[in-house]
Amino acid sequence: MSTISEVGGKALPQAATISRKRLPKAIHPGHILLYLILTAYALFSLAPFLFALSSSFKTYAQILAWPPSFIPHPGTLGNYQFIFSGAQLFPRYILNSFIYAVATAALNVVLAAMAGYAFGRMEFPGKTIFYLLTLAVLMIPTQLILIPKFLVTYTLHLTDNYGGLIVPAMVTPTSVFLMTQFLKTLPKELEESAMIDGCSRFRAFWQIIFPLIRPAMTVVALLSFQGAWNDFLWPLIVMSHQQNYTLTVGLAFFKGNYVTQYNLVLAGAMISIAPLVMVFFIFQRYFIQGLATSGLAGR
Amino acid sequence: MQAAISMKKRRQLRFSRLKLLNALTAYTFLAPYLIVLIIFTLIAIVTALYLSFFYVDFGFTQPIFYGFNNYLHIWYDLTHNGDFLIGLRNSTEYTVGVVTLQTILALILALLLNQKVHGLGIFRTAFYLPAMTSSVAISLIFYWLYQPQGGINYFLALFHIHGPAWLENPATALPAIMLLNIWTTAPTFMLMYLAALQDIPDTLYEAARVDGANTWQIIWRIIVPLLRPTTFAVVALGSIGAFQMFDQAFVMEGASGDPLRSTLTAAMVIYDTAFRNSLMGLACAQAFVLFIIIFAVTLVQKRYIDVNIQY
Repeated sequence: MSTISEVGGKALPQAATISRKRLPKAIHPGHILLYLILTAYALFSLAPFLFALSSSFKTYAQILAWPPSFIPHPGTLGNYQFIFSGAQLFPRYILNSFIYAVATAALNVVLAAMAGYAFGRMEFPGKTIFYLLTLAVLMIPTQLILIPKFLVTYTLHLTDNYGGLIVPAMVTPTSVFLMTQFLKTLPKELEESAMIDGCSRFRAFWQIIFPLIRPAMTVVALLSFQGAWNDFLWPLIVMSHQQNYTLTVGLAFFKGNYVTQYNLVLAGAMISIAPLVMVFFIFQRYFIQGLATSGLAGR
Repeated sequence: MQAAISMKKRRQLRFSRLKLLNALTAYTFLAPYLIVLIIFTLIAIVTALYLSFFYVDFGFTQPIFYGFNNYLHIWYDLTHNGDFLIGLRNSTEYTVGVVTLQTILALILALLLNQKVHGLGIFRTAFYLPAMTSSVAISLIFYWLYQPQGGINYFLALFHIHGPAWLENPATALPAIMLLNIWTTAPTFMLMYLAALQDIPDTLYEAARVDGANTWQIIWRIIVPLLRPTTFAVVALGSIGAFQMFDQAFVMEGASGDPLRSTLTAAMVIYDTAFRNSLMGLACAQAFVLFIIIFAVTLVQKRYIDVNIQY
């Protein structure tokens, strides 16, 4: 862009001399307004969580006080102690959710990478049909298949155990779609040169391609973990014994039993939120980068 | 002569054998995914349609062929102000409100974050936090905030507004859940808009400025039209999700859509039919009707919103 300010002795109009630099040295009112609005919305976004977090350290009496206080005087760990006491099954709920989420994330990364490799880098009869099917299935509302999915799971004796949670979710169309889009972006020469030298497809996949797809792996792992950790309706349907509940289902019933003891209910909510926040905070850069490269730009 | 023909045939055989090997390898890679897809999705869809023609009393009797009676039952329900009609009506009202507002909010947030600001990552994380938490946890937090003596009414009281009993008043219960969901899902769509905004070349803005356009005109005449494919994705995905809202209403108000069925959504009706009344066949029929509605709405949206963009 132009930083020339005169031509032929005459000054150019303002528009043609806009400098390339984006951040102006002087702070002008438009910028302050922008930061104000951004900060205001950030507060609006965070306030319920922060307020809930601080209130999870209040006693029952404190939480009913009006006007509500933002910092408990004094704070108490009693709510968390109660939740983790022997009377409640929360440690079991957390374990169930954790197993479900980690297994789903790990399996999705591997299995979706394999499927994405086939869709993205190989030619074979039926490829287009199955890929279009993948895209179509993404649009199907979960409600439609919920009941027969339950009946299928029941027939396979997978209800009320980890299998019923993990197996239907261990490789999803979303993960396959993301992996396919990403794998298409790698140059074709990578495994072709190895295969000319006699390497098999499988070895080429595991030793050459797989180590290169880290951004896609991060996105798929995070989305799968989040989806499994936050899943409510499916675990609600599939699990019938209380010790098999995941954290989300356990929390919903906990609220049913302790409905007006908001301090307890909020402590439970915090336990559900904390692990995800930590994981996302650590990996957010890879997550955003991975989303962008997978082509979710609305085309 | 004979040798030449058989060499050609040999080459063809070797080529088709290679292709067969290649196809087998590909399907081995695909096998786990296809197995899960076929068993838990495709077979499930077919079974859903099949079961909708049966009377199923789960756990008690074998399915009995019922013909179109499930669908006639739905028709009766819809024409006589039954639960399914109430559920569909609530879901429609809910979807229209939520999708409109969250699309606008997502676009505004994306435009705001598309500037060069310090601390972009922090703002983006802060904005995205509501979207990454579970619907149950958020429902619990907002259940507490929406109490008559809770945080939201306290905030309103600072402006001398007397807030209603959000979750107990039939007129405000569904809007309360709507607000909750707009707040929760707008950030996800903000990310989609952000990615699309980054595809718009800066030269377009500069050319417009040179031609004397102000910011408002740039937004309305250039950015919004160029974002139409993304807007279609946001609106379509938003509608599909909103029509199936279940978790928040279930956790905050219970499975009957209190108060006075104002939060009874279509998804909740299907859940009740299947798991409280054990009528799986009828539930499948209801789910199929819901699917047809969602599909039709998506087609209409595609027809009127989506365009092909070329730079």
